[in-house]
Amino acid sequence: MDDLVVQVDQLQKSFNSLVAVDHLTFQVNRGEIFGLLGPNGAGKTTTIRILMDIIKPDAGAARVLGNPPGVARERIGYLPEERGLYRGLRVDETLVYLGELKGMSRATARKRATELLARVELSEWTRNKVQELSRGMQQKVQIIASIIHDPDLVILDEPFQGLDPVNVEVVKDLIRDLRAQGKTIALSAHEMSQVEVLCERILLIDHGKAVLYGALSDIKKQFSPNAIEITPPFSFDGWREVERTETHDHKQLIYLTKGTAPREFLKTALERGLAIDQFEMASMPLEQIFVQVVTEGRTTNDG
Amino acid sequence: MSKVWIIASHEYIVNVRRIGFIFVTLLFPALGVIGLVIGALFGGQATKLLNSQFTPQARQAGIVDHSGFYTPIPAQFASRFIAFPDEATAKAALLSDKIGSFVVIPSDYLATGKITNYTQAGFSNITNDDPNLLRAFLVNGLLAGKVDPAYLARASKPADSTLVTLDSTGKPTTGVGLAIIAGFVAPYFFSIMLFIAVFSSSGYLLRSIADEKETRVIEIVLSSVSPPELLAGKVIGLGALGLTQVTIWLLSSFVLSGGLGAIAAGAVLVLNPGNFLLAALYFLLGYLLFGTIMATAGALGTNPRESQQLAGIFSFAAAIPWFFAGILFTNPNAPIARALSIFPLTAPTTMMLRLPLGGVPAIDIIASLIVLLISIPVVIWAGARIFRVGLLMYGKRASVKEIVSALKSA
Repeated sequence: MDDLVVQVDQLQKSFNSLVAVDHLTFQVNRGEIFGLLGPNGAGKTTTIRILMDIIKPDAGAARVLGNPPGVARERIGYLPEERGLYRGLRVDETLVYLGELKGMSRATARKRATELLARVELSEWTRNKVQELSRGMQQKVQIIASIIHDPDLVILDEPFQGLDPVNVEVVKDLIRDLRAQGKTIALSAHEMSQVEVLCERILLIDHGKAVLYGALSDIKKQFSPNAIEITPPFSFDGWREVERTETHDHKQLIYLTKGTAPREFLKTALERGLAIDQFEMASMPLEQIFVQVVTEGRTTNDG
Repeated sequence: MSKVWIIASHEYIVNVRRIGFIFVTLLFPALGVIGLVIGALFGGQATKLLNSQFTPQARQAGIVDHSGFYTPIPAQFASRFIAFPDEATAKAALLSDKIGSFVVIPSDYLATGKITNYTQAGFSNITNDDPNLLRAFLVNGLLAGKVDPAYLARASKPADSTLVTLDSTGKPTTGVGLAIIAGFVAPYFFSIMLFIAVFSSSGYLLRSIADEKETRVIEIVLSSVSPPELLAGKVIGLGALGLTQVTIWLLSSFVLSGGLGAIAAGAVLVLNPGNFLLAALYFLLGYLLFGTIMATAGALGTNPRESQQLAGIFSFAAAIPWFFAGILFTNPNAPIARALSIFPLTAPTTMMLRLPLGGVPAIDIIASLIVLLISIPVVIWAGARIFRVGLLMYGKRASVKEIVSALKSA
């Protein structure tokens, strides 16, 4: 089987004078969690809609599971950003209908709906009308609808939008489960902090253009500051190795002077008898990297 | 099962059990039952009440006779006619509301036959109440005592006509009432029912799409099916729903009319199968045309109400032939009727109205069918493109520029 699940090459899409997707090129590999990240209006949803064959591109090419968009619909699970359910329909009826539209038999769709509802603790709501469910419950049902047919590729557009922290974790677990089953997951988010713990590779876009693309660990390394994080905080007044410090939530971020290696700082700190409980290399949050790259007008595209 | 059929059966099953659908569907037979019950319980009084509403009180009419044939008023007419010596007295009686109208019979009546009828309301109560009464009075004045009473009676009412309708083989059909029902009333009723089915089905289509758009479920559905598949599934499912509704109405009207309707409907098929098939064809084409337009309106509006306002423009166009119903009934082949038959938005309605009246030239039927067969693919083509754009615009209606750009896109 082809290891490239999604291939996008020089994709372009404009809406009148607004350029939504501007020469975008990227790939999603089999079995990975891929993040399509960027602020609101960056072009994430437009890109996803092109992959789902809901809108047509102006130029460029896209292939999904080895086919042009729209061919392998039944092997793709999709959770759109603008999502809802038939309010007057029962939960099980909704899932069976959406499963049938994905090519499942009625009996198989019903069996799978029962299993998945149990997985997200909604078994007792199976025969209730959708409008009787809370918003969080409805969102879980929407996610089930996107994976009911056991797809090879799951595309989730802003999956955490509107979820409370508890349900964010439920959905994250679900995504990790899918990953463990060998599925490929492509997700979009505008709140980068929510997905940087999940994604293996990312594409950061702004105004339809690729800003950063590649393995998250490589990007983090590339933008890593010469800093370390320790617990608990100490005073470093007069230390020539330390440029400045910041303290947040009992953690102290220490920016080292140019030429000071973290290992060298640690050695000095231990020699001076500081009782450090925790020591780790500081990394720059993805959101901060994004701001830095966009502000500096730099674009990195290794694809 | 193909996705189109999955959507069609889903739409049918979900909508057929909606309270709103059940209520409207049962309302028609329920009103019929209520009518029958009222008729059975209060038949006599109800008829009297109705008669008193619609029949003007029989009032005396004045006669100013300068010919000498009609005064004094014969005893058998005394209750309806009252003699006046001149126009002035008669006019005063009319203005003081003592009589409903008066007739002046000039001295040269025998030679000219001219009379003048005076009234205040624009209608003469003499001719309205009983069209034969004045004739009988005039004939009686001329011939009473001069001819045999049997001739007098026949001259007063010369014909009691019976209408016999021949079928295509020249055999007379049994019963005048049934012939009229089968020849005109039933096909006309059938046409109206099909017209209602077209608009109730397209209305369901509009609401279904507008609802899916408003609840944001549309994009989930579009990830599984293409817009044309979605459109086709809905058109089939909701068309079947509209037909179900009309079938229930027709069946209930047959039952409530004591089987007469069923016989008449059977007679329509036997007597004029061509018209029946044409009506069915216009129904199908009309539904495809308006269904697609309504579906597009459903996709374009930001909410169901706005979609309905958009669709209202097209429903209005379809109703235009009804404004000309008077002309259509008196002259089904009038230029306006022929023009409306070849304009796509009015063609199905006009033809459904014209067909039961008979005598529609074949060229009109062919022209209207060609116009519809050309315009429907165009509407579907344009509708599918606008549908795709409109469906994904939430909280904002597509601008004319966006619609044009959608039509231009490949």
